[in-house]
Amino acid sequence: MSTIGADRAFSLAEEAFAVEGADAVEVVISTSNSALTRYADSRIHQNTARIDAEARVRVVVDGNRIGVVATNDLSAESIRAAATAAVQTAKVTPRDTAFAGLAQPASYADGGTFDAATAECSPAERAELVARMLAQLPDGVLGSGAAESGRHELAVANTNGVRAHSDTTRGAASILAAGDTSTGFAEATTSRWGDLDGEALAQRAARKVELGRNPRDIEPGRYPVVLEAAATATLVEFLCWIAFASKEFLDGRSPLSGRLGEQVCDPRVTIVDDALSPLLPGVAFDFEGVPKRRVPLIDRGVAAGVAHDLSTAAAAGIASTGHGLPAPNSGGFPLHPIMEPGDASLDELIGGLERGLLVTRFHYTNVVNQMDTSITGMTRDGTFLVEDGRIVGGVRNLRFTQSILEALSSIEQIGAETETSSELFFGCARAPAIRLSGFRFTSATTF
Amino acid sequence: MDLAQLAEFARDEARGRGVDYADVRSIRSETESIDVRDGDVQGVGRTISRGVGVRVLVAGSWGFASTNSDDEGDVRKAVEHAVDIARASGTVQRERVRLEDTPPPSGTYLTSHQRDPFDVPLAEKVDHLLAAAAAGREVAGVAFVEATCDAWKTTTHFRSTEGGSFDQTVVQIGAGLRALAIKAGEVQRRSFPNSFRGQFSAGGWEDVLALDLAGNAAATAREAVALLDAPELPAGRRTIILDSSQLALQVHESVGHATELDRILGMERAYAGTSFVEVKDRGHLRYGSPLVTITADATTPGALGTFGWDDEGVAAGETTLIEDGLLVGFLTNRECAAVIGERSNGTARADSWGTIPLIRMNNVSLQPREGDLESIIADTQDGLLLQTNKSWSIDDRRVNFQFSCEAAYEVHRGERGQLYKNPSYAGRTTEFWGACDAIGGRSDWRVWGVPNCGKGQPSQTARVGHGAATGRFRDITTGVGA
Repeated sequence: MSTIGADRAFSLAEEAFAVEGADAVEVVISTSNSALTRYADSRIHQNTARIDAEARVRVVVDGNRIGVVATNDLSAESIRAAATAAVQTAKVTPRDTAFAGLAQPASYADGGTFDAATAECSPAERAELVARMLAQLPDGVLGSGAAESGRHELAVANTNGVRAHSDTTRGAASILAAGDTSTGFAEATTSRWGDLDGEALAQRAARKVELGRNPRDIEPGRYPVVLEAAATATLVEFLCWIAFASKEFLDGRSPLSGRLGEQVCDPRVTIVDDALSPLLPGVAFDFEGVPKRRVPLIDRGVAAGVAHDLSTAAAAGIASTGHGLPAPNSGGFPLHPIMEPGDASLDELIGGLERGLLVTRFHYTNVVNQMDTSITGMTRDGTFLVEDGRIVGGVRNLRFTQSILEALSSIEQIGAETETSSELFFGCARAPAIRLSGFRFTSATTF
Repeated sequence: MDLAQLAEFARDEARGRGVDYADVRSIRSETESIDVRDGDVQGVGRTISRGVGVRVLVAGSWGFASTNSDDEGDVRKAVEHAVDIARASGTVQRERVRLEDTPPPSGTYLTSHQRDPFDVPLAEKVDHLLAAAAAGREVAGVAFVEATCDAWKTTTHFRSTEGGSFDQTVVQIGAGLRALAIKAGEVQRRSFPNSFRGQFSAGGWEDVLALDLAGNAAATAREAVALLDAPELPAGRRTIILDSSQLALQVHESVGHATELDRILGMERAYAGTSFVEVKDRGHLRYGSPLVTITADATTPGALGTFGWDDEGVAAGETTLIEDGLLVGFLTNRECAAVIGERSNGTARADSWGTIPLIRMNNVSLQPREGDLESIIADTQDGLLLQTNKSWSIDDRRVNFQFSCEAAYEVHRGERGQLYKNPSYAGRTTEFWGACDAIGGRSDWRVWGVPNCGKGQPSQTARVGHGAATGRFRDITTGVGA
């Protein structure tokens, strides 16, 4: 079984609604049919497909005792059993004083994209894309990466009358080109398989290999930088995690707790969370069935908003922004961050560096100090020295330890194009390349 | 059909399609997580997942397909899909995949425990966590105290076209608490007995009781509050003493991942990266000081990475990765071991029925030497004691690393002194391990569970173990703040 459709999903939810002993019931049903073709050293070495589903039943007993049980067996019998088990859980669970009730019925904007060609993408088509990418690489350069396609269905229904359903598709391709002494990387994510331009990705990665050959050592220190879109996206994703999750914000654990309305970085910086944007894969409602709203997180450098679910929104005295996560998680989280573009080409950004570094992307980034938004990570797959506005060659990779808000306060120019990038610990973000007057590199590595 | 019969059905379907090799894992897994904060329950969740994963080799190329359905027709489609996928793999192939000749497995296995965590009444578990949180909450100045418990029960039915067959149930559990202290612009935390949801093992509810969360909550909360007024750790180069939980994570990041043979052979290049280690380094690379011996052992009693067979049917065993500072081994699976002409040492693991086995750590442990935390402190004239991991980062060849810890103490003339907040240290892997001049003994050694090890595409999460004692390292970069 893969896709079941809205009617079937809502019908299955009704099976849970009939459970005895519950004041209210919410059912989140998801199905997925996904495949990922992985290649390394210019051969397909792992090639997988998965059909899965989940019915996640949340019941409310005595007003605010909550139980959650999930199963990946979508038979009516299994869903009824999950509902019964959830009631048993709720009955022995202390009251959740933060619980603010289940969502009320709403209408939903169009969100996400379904593309039949992506849904039906075959193993042969994914292999052909890999072959086309590899064909672009020069002799002596090997390719590694992935080609991915999938269809994902999500339905939310509750006893208040919420009925939400979406059916979306996703395609992605990536390539890491590796020469003897340098590497380059490019990736793309889309709702339409046919939009993936594997040749262009491979050519971009291969150019970085060529530019970065025989990298030189460079002393760690503070350098002006141009961060390509993928590197900027890492800063945006970590800022979302550190600062804009509602539970941490209300706890006082966000560096922006109590600082909404305050100028926190350069006025040219605007970051929104927008699941309805065609620029990122998204769904029009959250896991509680609340319509997703576009939330300005940083508006022209001013801390502007936070992503809420029903419970934290109630605590804050506002309406949910539609950023609820699957129960029993509590607190909203911005999963679709987009940094708005400027007007400069990448060449113009690089051209503005008298002496600095161009960074393709970061690796294995993590938080150093949440409250000053400092993070650390490594550069990888294309780090270059720029002098007098020209790339003069590759440098060995560097570790950075840097406050995100400090970096976003040192913006000199913002790129006109945005790209969708994935991050090791997160989903996707959309961001432009940026030029910063200073970025702190704290150590170097051997390659 | 039950899940075992479905596995046999899928294996026979694959065999009938002329594959070179097939293995099938049908799995039922159950998970439970409980989160409390102060007197409130933040969340209780249970998830049941079951499905069938079919891996085939066709003309030397891999294909894998999986389904959550227990319908024979759907399982047959998964087998057909796996074969189609393998044929597609064959269109972008350089050499045929070959598996080494480990004898097929046979038997049953169950991890040891006294009380199955899924048989313990939920109210008992919730009350236990609430009591721990309440004990910490009594400390003046603490903002809140969180306590958590997680449990997993995974039953695997493995069948292969080589005649391999095993049925295995692994029960794992973990619990911990975390105290947070907050004042204007400052958040500090202390965790017990470890960060990121505590300590984990293959065992039962008795393992949680043995942690004595409530008995340790107040001290944990007091230190979180004390950190608010502690100074930042200054930058410098210092002798550092790592507590065993932090040293366990150091082993994980800079030895465990670096010695995975699939990474060394480039199979993870585009995502998590490769390794500075090369195949030819074995027997030659001086990885650390002569005190450093590190093993991978899937038979360590009660450890989070303990099992009977890996997910390719290779029996659990022990292998040495580093012996007296010299690199002597790798973590391998049947495909990669064949590349270097050996048999697998049994570290192929998948995180579900819907994912393929990858080379993953089991229990990768730094072997004990002598002494303990207190004797190593007493033996240190000038240094720092760093405790409990807060964050980690390492480059894509596992060379340059940087860790942050929850707390540090000055060590002066053999005694603990000043408490520091936001401590960090950094280095390069072989230089760091080469600077090791003390490792605690057996009484100081503990196997820590790491439940959140990520690898692969689609991303998989492994639960692994690491034995470690206190360790001391000379002339290390510290205080790498922003």
